[in-house]
Amino acid sequence: MLGSLNTRVMLEYLPDIWQGFLSTLMLSTTGFAGALTLGIIACALSIQPVRWLRAPATVYIDAVRATPLLAQLYFLYFGLPRLGIVLPEILIGIIVLSLNSGAYVAEIIRSGILAISRGQVEAAISSGMTYLQRMRLIILPQALRPTISPLIGQAIVLVKDSSLLSLISVVELTRAGQMIAIDRFMPIEGLVATALAYLLLYYLLKLLAGIWSHQNRLPGRA
Amino acid sequence: MIEFTNLNKWFGSLHVLKDIDLAVTKGEVVVVCGPSGSGKSTLIRCINGLEPFQKGRLVVDGFDLGSSSVRLRELRMEVGFVFQSFNLYPHKTALENVTLAPIHVRGLSKAEADDRGRALLEKVGLADRMQSYPHQLSGGQQQRVAIARSLCMQPKIMLFDEPTSALDPEMINEVLDVMVSLAREGMTMMVVTHEMGFARKVADRVIFMDRGAIVETADPESFFTNPQSERSRDFLSKVLHH
Ligand SMILES: Nc1ncnc2c1ncn2[C@@H]1O[C@H](COP(=O)(O)OP(=O)(O)OP(=O)(O)O)[C@@H](O)[C@H]1O
Ligand SMILES: [Mg+2]
Repeated sequence: MLGSLNTRVMLEYLPDIWQGFLSTLMLSTTGFAGALTLGIIACALSIQPVRWLRAPATVYIDAVRATPLLAQLYFLYFGLPRLGIVLPEILIGIIVLSLNSGAYVAEIIRSGILAISRGQVEAAISSGMTYLQRMRLIILPQALRPTISPLIGQAIVLVKDSSLLSLISVVELTRAGQMIAIDRFMPIEGLVATALAYLLLYYLLKLLAGIWSHQNRLPGRA
Repeated sequence: MIEFTNLNKWFGSLHVLKDIDLAVTKGEVVVVCGPSGSGKSTLIRCINGLEPFQKGRLVVDGFDLGSSSVRLRELRMEVGFVFQSFNLYPHKTALENVTLAPIHVRGLSKAEADDRGRALLEKVGLADRMQSYPHQLSGGQQQRVAIARSLCMQPKIMLFDEPTSALDPEMINEVLDVMVSLAREGMTMMVVTHEMGFARKVADRVIFMDRGAIVETADPESFFTNPQSERSRDFLSKVLHH
């Protein structure tokens, strides 16, 4: 079947695929930047001791993890205009990706922090450090190191999830692939072209993960 | 320097410290011993505010720990704490472990803190391990770094919670030697330990705890040779046979 791929059509649509690729890259980076910000805030709220500050973080994380991304997307897409908030589709898309991924990022960072032994915290407290100093100097540097792989995993999920934005007519990779299918009745050519582009993004992220872990080895440790 | 008055503490319904009365003066070295679960750790953890208490009074270096306005951070700068499990920061070198709090809490410049830190690491016999990470050091070396880390804040009081009980026997003495010289320099110390040699050498007093109460207070020689209470005799016979 692959032998019968119409590569001429694929090449013809290369500029569109390239546009889709750039668009997906942009959606994913902004979406993930938003997710990191939201995730860090939600995580910070969920581990601090004041209950009424913890509650909104818990509700947010649970609500996102319990519902499908597609439902979240439609909820904002149809819900926001009802509240009188009219945003461009692409912005709604980025908000949904950030909100969705942010909840998972919060959980990843939280598990890293909870893995730090009580003794580390006590040593820091005993030396007179403030809460913020403990976080910045002792807890986060240790907690974040093992979260980098799961975070990159989450970024990979986000890249793939961004394809759902094609449903609210944001032009990105999946949408670009569908155009080949629709214009030329060649669904396989469209799918293969987009799959290759997603694969490229995947390897870019894996490369990043590799470089990071190479640079951040503890000296003297494999 | 440290003054407990009728202090009581509960963990939920468990009464872990019962009517503690104890005064430690400047330069004094007090050894605390007693069976497991008797409240020794809890007692010294109250002194730097790691554990709150419910009743009674505790004043340390002029700080009233019972008051709600007590400036715990300022107190903690004056009180070093050495843990059984060292608790060195694994992502920092020995020297960084030692200089971190002086730089960020005391506000020393990096150069000043480095000078002070190097001198202390030399003093505990680790001049050649300053750039090592904790996982590259033996238990005894790690505990000596931990002691240097506390000392680098130039505290007025040092607390030790079983500093040698996680160590292999051949490493115990290198840590005790550091503690002995610290005691001889006049540091005010409270040490939870069953190391009788250490107590005999430098302790002014030995306190024996059982089930949350101070059962006996004596000078080390009489405590070890002629314990007064039934429970301390019982405890000593067990420890001595080990
Ligand atoms: N965080 C805690 N919550 C509930 N109970 C605790 C807690 N910490 C200690 N306890 C209990 O308080 C009592 C005193 O504990 P503590 O650790 O002070 O004893 P210890 O004399 O230091 O014992 P060990 O020699 O085993 O270290 C024990 O019964 C212990 O189980
Ligand atoms: Mg203990």
